[in-house]
Amino acid sequence: MKSFTKFIDSFGAILLAVIWIAPLLFAFWAATHSTSDAVNLKLFSPWTLDNFRVAWSGAPWLKYFFNTFMLVTVILIGQFFLTTLAGFAFAQLRFPGKDFVFILVLMQLFILPEVLIVENYAMVSRLGLFDSILGVGMPYMASAFGIFLMRQSFKGVPIELHEAARIEGCGLLGILWRVYVPLAKPTYLAYALVSVSTHWNNFLWPLIVTNSPETRPLTVGLSIFGAPENGVDISIISAATLMSVAPLLIAFLIFQRQFVQSFLRAGIK
Amino acid sequence: MTTAPMVVLKDIAKRWNGQLGVEGISLDIPEGSFTALLGPSGCGKSTTLRLLAGLELPDEGTILIDGKDVTTSAASDRNLSMVFQSYALFPHLSVAENVVFGLKVRRVPKQKRQEKLHRALEITGLLGYENRKPGQLSGGQRQRVALARAIVAGQRLCLMDEPLSNLDAKLRNSVRKDIKKLQRDLGITVIYVTHDQTEAMSMADTVVLMKDGHIQQVGTPNDLYSNPKNTFVAEFVGAPPMALIESSVLGGFGEDKTIGIRAENIQIVPKGEGRMSCIVNESEFLGAETLIGLDHEGARGLCVLKPGLSMVAEGNEIDINFHDEHLHVFDAAGHRLVR
Repeated sequence: MKSFTKFIDSFGAILLAVIWIAPLLFAFWAATHSTSDAVNLKLFSPWTLDNFRVAWSGAPWLKYFFNTFMLVTVILIGQFFLTTLAGFAFAQLRFPGKDFVFILVLMQLFILPEVLIVENYAMVSRLGLFDSILGVGMPYMASAFGIFLMRQSFKGVPIELHEAARIEGCGLLGILWRVYVPLAKPTYLAYALVSVSTHWNNFLWPLIVTNSPETRPLTVGLSIFGAPENGVDISIISAATLMSVAPLLIAFLIFQRQFVQSFLRAGIK
Repeated sequence: MTTAPMVVLKDIAKRWNGQLGVEGISLDIPEGSFTALLGPSGCGKSTTLRLLAGLELPDEGTILIDGKDVTTSAASDRNLSMVFQSYALFPHLSVAENVVFGLKVRRVPKQKRQEKLHRALEITGLLGYENRKPGQLSGGQRQRVALARAIVAGQRLCLMDEPLSNLDAKLRNSVRKDIKKLQRDLGITVIYVTHDQTEAMSMADTVVLMKDGHIQQVGTPNDLYSNPKNTFVAEFVGAPPMALIESSVLGGFGEDKTIGIRAENIQIVPKGEGRMSCIVNESEFLGAETLIGLDHEGARGLCVLKPGLSMVAEGNEIDINFHDEHLHVFDAAGHRLVR
């Protein structure tokens, strides 16, 4: 019985792994073969890198990469700044209406960002940030998830450390910077990973709010590149897709262990 | 006292949501002294220390440190250092960084920081451990890092909140001596919170015994031991504590009094010659002497010390004797009556 459940466990794990990796494997296969070979799954057909060459010259990828990179960086910096301050306030400060405000923040977790697209669009236009990287990133900066995460992490810091820092002459922001932030490092790392991968892959909102190649991130650029009116060539689209996920994929493979550990340490599963 | 006291507390009171924390705390603590705040848990000794440190603000009363009114000042403006029960070392910083934390915050130049760090580590015997993290140190070493952090800035007032309670008994003894020596060598004023009366009695110049948020007695260790102001002090101080006997058991003291007597003033005498006759309820061999616990209807905590190993079987009846000059008399409310 025991060996049977063990078998089911590993069988399930392998099955899931195969299902998850299959599209990636197919994309890799398609990207490295000519279109007809790829579609007909000819196993011994010759390998080629032509698709990458064609895809690369077909769109301003470097600009897109740069835009996506800037986008996730701007969002991450904004998130770190806002969630740190808000998380600290909810964890360690006393102010009237704190619980009520915190519940409001938590309620934000229940709302899908897509629901707010129209409202966000209007707001970003009013702010004059339409078609700018800051405009794409703005709605995600005061992340409820991040605030909640930072609050939990800051709450775990022993109060004696706070008091010791106070006696040693630290102000409130000094304590936050010198005691709370360094102690929450694993949480920051885990949160950064979630944030970067989410916003690297985010599509709908950037599609709506960007209007030019100057601000378009990779996902939007890719969809325009692969749009049916440009003619569907599965191999070239696969090549372009692989290029756009490559940085994240490689980073994940290199930092796999730290990735998983930081999640365990921060208590997110 | 020729000089003004270092620390003055005047009628301090602090309540938690209407519940009593401390009340009517008035204390003068001279510079360079070692004062112990002693009492059972929940008596308000830690609250008093936290009020002094500025971690809490009092509801009533004033606090003066070095002649300056600091009642509502921030903790950082009170020019004091503090050793926490849990040591409160920053786990992400090395020993050296922990020690100079406060100097760095106060923007002391690097050169000076290094000098002070070296001196503090030298005094506490931590040279060579500069780059270790607190997690890589033993309990005793962590305790010394906390001490080094407390003395590095050269503050003249140091507060200690049960700094020894996380150490094992043997280490506690040696660290006790170290702290006492440190205090004397540096000439700093130490206010020390403890629930362990041995610690307070052996280290302090002045012991402040507290109960339920009120000061019971302030005095030298000898004062508290030989002239307890009330029955609580009598029963708290000393090992073994004072035994209390109802006055009706002994003739000649009147009604409703309580008589206190210390174990070392009681002698065992042959049957029929003693003032009281008791039943032995336990014998405890302490090494140099044996502590024999006694049961008597009108007394509690009665015991007698016999030199060396001399166990007495449980249930034996023995007679004890003592002299009137060793007795402490308390009235019905437990207050000492001066004789």
